[in-house]
Amino acid sequence: MWFSLAWRSAWSRKQALAMVMVSVSVSVLILLGVQQLREDAKRSFSNALSGVDLIVGPRGSATELMLYSVFQIGRPSRNMSYEGYTALAQLPQVHWAVPIQLGDSYMGHPVLGTTPELFTRFKSQGLGLQWAQGRAFADPLTQPEALSEVVLGAEVARHFGHQLNDKLVLTHGQSSGLGTEHEDHPMTVVGILAPTGAPIDRSVIVSLQAFEAIHVGWGMGISPSAFKTAGGLTQAPDVKDLQPASLSAVWVGLHNRAEVFSVRRKIESLERGQLMAVMPGVALDELWQIVKVVENTLLLVGMLVAVSAMFSVAAVLLVAMAGRRKELAILRAMGAAPLALMVFVLLESLLVCVVGIVVGYGLCQALLVAAQGVLRTELGVLVQAGWPAAQAWWALAGLCGAALLASCVPAWRAYRLSLSDGLHPPSV
Amino acid sequence: MVYALKLAQLSHAWGGAAPLFEITQLALPQGENLFIQGPSGCGKSTLLGMLAGVISVSHGQLEVLGHDMVKLSSVARDRLRGEHMGVIFQQFNLLPYLDVRANVLLPTRLFASRAQAAVQEWGDAQTQALHLIQTLGLPSSVWHQPVHQLSVGQQQRVAAVRALMGSPRLVIADEPTSALDDANQQEFLDLLLGSARKQAASVVMVSHNAHLAQRFDHVFAMPLRRQA
Repeated sequence: MWFSLAWRSAWSRKQALAMVMVSVSVSVLILLGVQQLREDAKRSFSNALSGVDLIVGPRGSATELMLYSVFQIGRPSRNMSYEGYTALAQLPQVHWAVPIQLGDSYMGHPVLGTTPELFTRFKSQGLGLQWAQGRAFADPLTQPEALSEVVLGAEVARHFGHQLNDKLVLTHGQSSGLGTEHEDHPMTVVGILAPTGAPIDRSVIVSLQAFEAIHVGWGMGISPSAFKTAGGLTQAPDVKDLQPASLSAVWVGLHNRAEVFSVRRKIESLERGQLMAVMPGVALDELWQIVKVVENTLLLVGMLVAVSAMFSVAAVLLVAMAGRRKELAILRAMGAAPLALMVFVLLESLLVCVVGIVVGYGLCQALLVAAQGVLRTELGVLVQAGWPAAQAWWALAGLCGAALLASCVPAWRAYRLSLSDGLHPPSV
Repeated sequence: MVYALKLAQLSHAWGGAAPLFEITQLALPQGENLFIQGPSGCGKSTLLGMLAGVISVSHGQLEVLGHDMVKLSSVARDRLRGEHMGVIFQQFNLLPYLDVRANVLLPTRLFASRAQAAVQEWGDAQTQALHLIQTLGLPSSVWHQPVHQLSVGQQQRVAAVRALMGSPRLVIADEPTSALDDANQQEFLDLLLGSARKQAASVVMVSHNAHLAQRFDHVFAMPLRRQA
């Protein structure tokens, strides 16, 4: 009976309570949203390179190596030697090794120089690459015309509306400006990849030799045409000579993952110790350590919003108590003990909070599902709607606890009022 | 003789102030009604609060419906009020978010003994409610009406119906007629006292309006506060 009364009473003040409920919902939305995005981002990043056991690059920062070679964030400051690549590829434990050459860009999107093997080895979220259109570029060593072939990631193709056989001109370095375009070496689109959610969607992929070829004659980052030397340099070079002297990184897959530590030691002893081999998972952990501050700040903001929402619940319901003195006196006259009235008010506040929490959770899931596509293509984050993770349960439990505390404030006021007013509330 | 209330040497003071009132002796036989008259500020409402068990007795003796209110805990007093008393205020007696029906049936919903009493006498609570609505001169159409559609007079009658539901032994009314015009006052009082008498319930009513006193079995004038 008390519950039904509390419900009817709350329903009669539904507008004010709905506002309070919305403020609770928004705070839950922020708190859970941050939490879930964080979890999903971590999982997606960890899975972004699921097939790669080791990333090899020049000695330096492991995080940096992973950021530029996998996520195309930042750029290499040094390169590793090409001999390092050929040496590690010959190690018996190494199943495959895919070289990665970075540095150029196409309209702000990174250009990736590699071998056709990349298309069969690359895995994201455990899935291999699929072709939306066309095919991989050929190996220029057997088919020299492959020097002008380019494959586009799904996002690049979508963004610029590129189709097969489109011609495009790459930019030297990251910036675009007069004299830094590789105009003398236009590329033809031969393949477009299906979306993966991985950073490769934003890449323009060419063969290692093509990457070399467009740089023939370039010195110090200046286009050969800037020298206006019409002779010799622009003639097609021999494909065999287009072997790079250095690489940005190498992705390595092993026959047996259990050997990853010993292989890492072996690789790091090659080339007079100039190489570094990084396990993607370990490097990611280091990365998470770095971004933890940001993460925690976001979480803290979410918590503060939640706390302020709880205070607003307490404040609004406290103010409302003034208008409910008559109601309390009537119930008191009907035999309700002050303690019963306290529970009566507590029930209502709790109801508002719990409904707010549930609505906020639903809203959070709905928004995540709605934003699923964008998050996947723009950020490479695969969201999973569903029951909250263990940590989110703790957050929810904390919120419910805070809601209970907040509800105690108006409830206590109701108790005091019903004691002092008795049957005679000041007439309103 | 059974008394609805019996008090002796009862006084009350708020905080450390001089006593608000001091009543040497007062007793009301069960089933009879009492009019308590006095100017505002004389402590009538405080006395009613003590009778209803909302205000603790600090000095003197008070027995209500055979229970020693001095010894009873506040929870037990709340229960006594809920089970055996009906209360009518000056105004705003009804919960605005319930319709007339739900308001009237509330005592029988909150306390099983009130529901049992109604069932014993009338078969079920709704029958008693409809009967009381009729005897208090309300149209039966009010039954499902929202409270805010009723006139003040009708609201007071619904409050009387609610107070009498489940056959309480004592009805406490605090200026129940002061919001009504003269003609309505007389009629309301007649109906209230008549219905209570049929149920053998005592009515204790306070008012500053001495004209209403003539309909009551007993009249008690609040003693004037002693000047300090």
